[in-house]
Amino acid sequence: MATDPIHQFQIKKLIPIEIGGVDFSFTNSALFMVITVVGASAFLILSARGRGLVPGRWQSAAEVTYEFIAKTLRDSAGSDGMRFFPFVFSLFMFILFANLIGMFPYFFTVTSHMIITAVMAAMVIGTVIVYGFRRHGLHFLKLFVPSGLPAVLLPFVTFIEVLSFISRPISLSIRLFANMLAGHITLKVFAGFVATLGSLGFVGILGAILPLAATVALTALEFLVAALQAYVFAILTCLYLNDALHPGH
Amino acid sequence: MALRLSADFVAGIVVGGAIGWGFDALLGTSPWGLIVFFLLGFAAGILSVMRTAGMIAKRPELDDDPASRRFD
Repeated sequence: MATDPIHQFQIKKLIPIEIGGVDFSFTNSALFMVITVVGASAFLILSARGRGLVPGRWQSAAEVTYEFIAKTLRDSAGSDGMRFFPFVFSLFMFILFANLIGMFPYFFTVTSHMIITAVMAAMVIGTVIVYGFRRHGLHFLKLFVPSGLPAVLLPFVTFIEVLSFISRPISLSIRLFANMLAGHITLKVFAGFVATLGSLGFVGILGAILPLAATVALTALEFLVAALQAYVFAILTCLYLNDALHPGH
Repeated sequence: MALRLSADFVAGIVVGGAIGWGFDALLGTSPWGLIVFFLLGFAAGILSVMRTAGMIAKRPELDDDPASRRFD
């Protein structure tokens, strides 16, 4: 009986592949990434296939996600931020689907591993830095120099701004992975209480009612967190891209 | 909400501490680099938390001009 709450995050090699001494195995994480991408693509492609002027249920759902991210991006980074729409929308859909697919029992949650979220955060910050320097040149560095400060404080504040910028990819990746990891562990621990107490006879079954109720409530909370974290990742991406588009405001 | 903001704070301190630790390891100034950069990282963490909180809280009533929405 797998009541160990960490067990669910184990990486298992499904198809061992090794190229030049480097491990390229197809793991359960890779499998669920494929499922996530296929799921997200299928949702958007199949629901948009009808091309109804009056959208049906599925097409409405797809249009709502599109409009939602488009509005978030336009509000945060202005209309010239829309050039990053495919990037932000892909990130949002990937995280949303990975989080939601992870809510199925026995399924693997891709976003509960920091390496996945760290790569996505590195992609975001890499885009910000490369695009910022390409479009604004050295003016991009104005991002770190707030205007209207006394000269004594300027190096100090600039340094703190640089530190704050460096900490962005770390906080972006920690936030998503920690939320998913902590949520799934909590769920598993409370569900484990039900099983353990339930095996203790009548009094135990009475006592198991409370953790059972908690598990039901936590499941609902986890669905909220799954959607909310995808949104938070997307909006923070938009705000960081805004820095690349409009530094020094 | 708590985890959303604490991630910013922790990341600031981690970055500050890591830079201070590396600084000390390179220059042999232990423990001064760690102390100074840890405190600077603390400040950066607070700054990130204030910004993230401001950005998330300010969102709904934002007007159309993205420039005016910068959180200073």
